[in-house]
Amino acid sequence: MRTFVLKRLLLLVPILLGVATLTFVLMYIVPGDPVRAIAGERYDEETLVRMRAELGLDRPLVVQYVDFLGRLARFDLGDSFVTRRPVTEGIRERFPRTLVLALSAMAIAIVCGIVIGVLAAWGAHPVLSRILMTVSLVGVSMPVFWLGLLLIYLFAIKLRVLPPSGYGGGSIRNLILPALTLSFASMATIARVTRSGFIDALGEDYVRTARAKGLGERVILSKHVMRNALIPVLTIVGADFGSYLSGSVLTESIFGWPGLGRFVVQAILKRDFPVIQGAVLFMAVLFVLVNLAIDLSYGAIDPRIRSEGGER
Amino acid sequence: MFRAGLIILLLCFVCVPPGCSRQGHDATIRLALQTEPTTLDPAFSVDFSSGKLSSLIHSNLVAFDPDAEIVPDLARSWDILDEGRRYVFHLGAARFSNGRRVTAADIVYSVRRLLDPATVSPRWWLLKPLRGAAGFHGGGRWDGEAVRAIDDSTVVMKLDRPVAHFLGLLAMSAAGVVCREEIERLGAGYGRSPCGSGPWMLSSWAEGDEILLVPNPGWPGPRTALEGLSFRIIPEQMTQIAEFETGSLDVLEVPRAELEHWRAAGTPLLWKEELRVVYIGLNTRKPPFTDPRVRHAINLAVDVEKIVVHVLFGAGKRARGVIPPSLRLSPGPAERYPYDPARARALLAEAGYPNGFAMEIWQRENPEAGRVLESVQGYLAEIGITAKLVTREWGAFKEAVDQGTPDAFFLDWLADYPDAENFLTPLFHSSNIGGSGNRTGYRNARVDSMLDAASMCMDRAERWELYRSAEEIVYGDAPWLFLWFPEKYEVVSPRLTGYRIPLIFNGQRFLDVGV
Repeated sequence: MRTFVLKRLLLLVPILLGVATLTFVLMYIVPGDPVRAIAGERYDEETLVRMRAELGLDRPLVVQYVDFLGRLARFDLGDSFVTRRPVTEGIRERFPRTLVLALSAMAIAIVCGIVIGVLAAWGAHPVLSRILMTVSLVGVSMPVFWLGLLLIYLFAIKLRVLPPSGYGGGSIRNLILPALTLSFASMATIARVTRSGFIDALGEDYVRTARAKGLGERVILSKHVMRNALIPVLTIVGADFGSYLSGSVLTESIFGWPGLGRFVVQAILKRDFPVIQGAVLFMAVLFVLVNLAIDLSYGAIDPRIRSEGGER
Repeated sequence: MFRAGLIILLLCFVCVPPGCSRQGHDATIRLALQTEPTTLDPAFSVDFSSGKLSSLIHSNLVAFDPDAEIVPDLARSWDILDEGRRYVFHLGAARFSNGRRVTAADIVYSVRRLLDPATVSPRWWLLKPLRGAAGFHGGGRWDGEAVRAIDDSTVVMKLDRPVAHFLGLLAMSAAGVVCREEIERLGAGYGRSPCGSGPWMLSSWAEGDEILLVPNPGWPGPRTALEGLSFRIIPEQMTQIAEFETGSLDVLEVPRAELEHWRAAGTPLLWKEELRVVYIGLNTRKPPFTDPRVRHAINLAVDVEKIVVHVLFGAGKRARGVIPPSLRLSPGPAERYPYDPARARALLAEAGYPNGFAMEIWQRENPEAGRVLESVQGYLAEIGITAKLVTREWGAFKEAVDQGTPDAFFLDWLADYPDAENFLTPLFHSSNIGGSGNRTGYRNARVDSMLDAASMCMDRAERWELYRSAEEIVYGDAPWLFLWFPEKYEVVSPRLTGYRIPLIFNGQRFLDVGV
């Protein structure tokens, strides 16, 4: 197990090098001059030349690339072209807010998704099951933007129980609407996958055996059915959580949530190379780590996978 | 397990007390910004949000009031001598937010800092009229006579030649006076911890969320009754509307598409013409737009009036010329381009394009631009011109337009200072071709000499006459498809008193506003 984790962590080095190179190259291929984006509406060419020199953009690409890798090796992501602040400072301020939003959204999605999925699978109430699945279908297909505005209209303007937007200094009241909006699509997918997983598992031989042994329905569900139905759910959680952690631009914009997504989009619009590169690298590390965690948790849920992992 | 999950979820909702936390009954005005300021250092404030906040925190020698008139700021009075070549400013007793008194030496320092090539300020050009400023910026020697502190409260500025709009330049946010010791202490960090002598000072800046300004105790003017100004960063207009409707914002700029709704609801709307002109630039260096008949035809082919009514919901005035109505001393040029597709077609045929031609109109990403340009596209198709719309993001768009690549481009120009010069000289003087403003590559020696003469002319009426005549020529030459002068609409919470929409973006310092 330890070698497996170590191997995966070592893989980070080539992955990061690849991501760093790719973002660096992309920055220079995509049209758009960072200096022009920073200079405002009225400037002379001479000033642009000076600004370019100050930011080091007048040097040959190879020199810039080597310099960039050198800084990375010292864990220095550089300073933003636009705000002149260290990129790490921006990420340090923004990431915790994105993390809080991602964790809450994921928690809502997992709890509600599984509950809905199980209720729908149980089949005790066919009408309820159909209603729940229709709701989850709507959830999968509803655009985040529209859902966000709908929730603001309902909870902030009509019922006046929650603030429409903002971070509110970390208040839970400000977190609810964005978390709910962000969770919706995942919740719906989890519900659908849980339902089909449950239905499949309920028909398995081991469930029949358990029933024959006289085990209670509750034990069968939690010990046997649940574990098997949860594997695909975990895959969805892994993929969605990874992307939530890199910031959810739409949700953050609608709710004025000062997270990583808006930070990166602003940087892209301003061609703020150091911020884009730094943030993309940071997200790449997160993705790798989240996926590693998910791979490890497969083993915790399903012993068969654990033994395969042990052989690796 | 399910039960536990449900209980946790329910707890999440139940633990939250009802009622909105941001209902304001205090004396802090709550405003929204669509984008976060990039810096509060005046020398680098080039975007709207940065300039607006930087102007609240920093004082200039002179400032704009909401009607964009020049009013005293650090300078309580001034004398204009030597036919406009020498300015003597007499300073009042202002203090920086760190408590130190502002002296004439601070003015000298701030001027020199903006011009210093080592500062690399994109806004250095606003002090270019000072004696030897261009030479110093180009790496030459600093001319100590350009700006000199006679004593602690007197500053003299000398100009190479008279510049009639010089005071307007001094009121721009980039000319804000900074505190030397703080700049030296903080370096690039000054942009996040500014120390100015304006009516407000920075209290807190929650990245991406909210910026709070509180009154600067060193401000010598009348004390405001307000406790603070809170600027919340809310990128989405729909969310801003929701915040206003729940009482969490005091001022809301009404999006054009929402105007009908607010009008129908009978909400009293504040209204102001903007110092802004919207146009489609025609690349006069590139055939077929080198031929004035083609440019006239394009102007005749598009019914701008209809676009203003139906696409802009009437929130603008059709532009006949370049100078916005509120800066004019006399009416604009006589109508030259009434909607007349038949004449447009005839002109095209005369120019050798009886079957029209294909062209590209470039735009930056902007949904409103898209709607306008689709109408323009339709009108042009009627006279045989196939216009293809090309969308680029801002940086790429600017690069191409500055270099004169596109046939035509949709753009606007917002005044930095309220003067006809700020529209005509950057946009049409041949010395400003490219990023300085003249992006159509328009060249007319007569217009150049008129604009040069006007900027040096200290007689208001004579100066206006020169600008009016230059505008007449530009309007006749039609380097643009002249579109409209936009209008701004705002709603204000009933608890606010004395608020006015400023004519120029940094003209509202909230000194006369109360709750």
